[in-house]
Amino acid sequence: MRPLSPVLASLANVFRIPISQTPTRPAITRITNEALKSSSPTTAAAISSARTFSTTNALLKRKEANKGNQKITLIRYFLYHPLTPRPLRFSRTRYLRHWTIHRAWNLYQANQRRKNELELQRQWQAMQSACEELRVGAGDGGKLFRKSMIKTGVFKDLFPIEYGRLQTEGPSAEGWNHEWKRS
Amino acid sequence: MAASETSRYLARSLPRTLVPSSRHQALCWRRNASDQASSKAPSADLSDLESTSSLTTTASQDVIKSFQPIERSRARKTQLPRSRYQFRSPKYDRGPLHPHRPPPPSDPSSRLYVPGPFSLPRVEQTYQSTVASDILTLLYVHNPPGFKPPVKAPRLRSWDDSSPYHKNRPLRGPRGGDVLRLLRHPITFNNIPKLERITLHSYVKQAAWEHSGWLHVAGMAIQAISNVRVETFKSKTSVAQWHISPGRDTVAVKAELRGENMHHFFGKLVDLVMPRIKDWEGIKGSSGDSSGNITFGLESEDMALFPEIEVNYDMYPPKMIPGCHITLHTSATTDKDARMLLSALGVPFHGKLVN
Repeated sequence: MRPLSPVLASLANVFRIPISQTPTRPAITRITNEALKSSSPTTAAAISSARTFSTTNALLKRKEANKGNQKITLIRYFLYHPLTPRPLRFSRTRYLRHWTIHRAWNLYQANQRRKNELELQRQWQAMQSACEELRVGAGDGGKLFRKSMIKTGVFKDLFPIEYGRLQTEGPSAEGWNHEWKRS
Repeated sequence: MAASETSRYLARSLPRTLVPSSRHQALCWRRNASDQASSKAPSADLSDLESTSSLTTTASQDVIKSFQPIERSRARKTQLPRSRYQFRSPKYDRGPLHPHRPPPPSDPSSRLYVPGPFSLPRVEQTYQSTVASDILTLLYVHNPPGFKPPVKAPRLRSWDDSSPYHKNRPLRGPRGGDVLRLLRHPITFNNIPKLERITLHSYVKQAAWEHSGWLHVAGMAIQAISNVRVETFKSKTSVAQWHISPGRDTVAVKAELRGENMHHFFGKLVDLVMPRIKDWEGIKGSSGDSSGNITFGLESEDMALFPEIEVNYDMYPPKMIPGCHITLHTSATTDKDARMLLSALGVPFHGKLVN
């Protein structure tokens, strides 16, 4: 069997793929070299003959003309990579350990979800009781309640854009870097 | 191979370091008079440690004596499965009557198993902690106890029996068109709109009449920004100017994002990409399919603003980075609710809002 390139061999080692079963895949340097050769066969012979006397990579001597094609070749190479990890296989104890952690994690997530739902429900019920109190017990014939229920422009104005800001660890003390210049 | 051999050697040599040595390695408590007091005295951190190992057993001797795993396994009538797990999931699910079916995707031996999630995205945290309750408050409508909403007319009308041909006809469609729109329930604590999935879709017309490299570059770019393997699609329509005929030319790539991937992508979109798009006012207010899904497009220059493409911009051939359509699917059933949610998460809208 032809030895794989070191990159592929290390990948196969990482993914625990037995190399003998891996369909042989040309190394990346050979791919790009062949792509270049097929594009210009006249100069390819000259390059391969001169290659033994030069330490420069053959790719470095190429003109700018084939840059786009070469990038596409590389993208294709990495898009269709056959080295995908096989399904995990655990021994019995390790599988049990995994199962325990999985169940515990699911339980934890369910608890979190339930906690969030209950919190929202609590808020909603608090709003409801407050509005009922305002409607009946405020002693102004429900005027305040009616004012508070006016929803004009809620769907037109939406949230202000200053509100829509993802949470961070904390707002910076300065807020703006005045010294910043485009370098 | 050399690479795999090193790992075997490593695995063989690792336990050697873990073998307990004969030298006693307990803390040295003795101090000579010539020593500095601080050098030998146990520090505060060390005094917090327990002096006994947690690995020592507390079981009594007869329990230890009675533990005979080999005898027990021999006494078993049917042996346990082998320790080294031999199960291979079948590739295809052949239905509930098949004796050999793949395990559920949460099982690590399944082919669909994806480990994770490994992070708690900021978008999700923001939604949980602020946005959900704010939307709930903003859209709260108070109904006094005992209130019953007036009964609406049925959406599918029956035929008036003016003609004998009306008998056994299916019901008439709703007024003003044949589209039966989704019902909007009032927003309460259990149906607050949330992000469900995001679809990235890119139609590359040059893939039909130039080479397939256009499609590959588009797929690579979409994959890079979304962390999801793309699917390719053939054209369904015929476009004469671009020499596209239906069912022949593969022209589009799509990626569907859910969960953690979706939240990270949305965070990048809102925080990094949208503020830097030139002369962009926001998503058009008329966008949306009137059932809570908002779509907008990014040009190829805007796609280059995603950090995954920006850091590796030279990997892509010039002028070949695709634009794409991004659909934000929310659990809202109307566009106005969806817009409310997205504006709370930082997406700007402009123009007249059409529902």
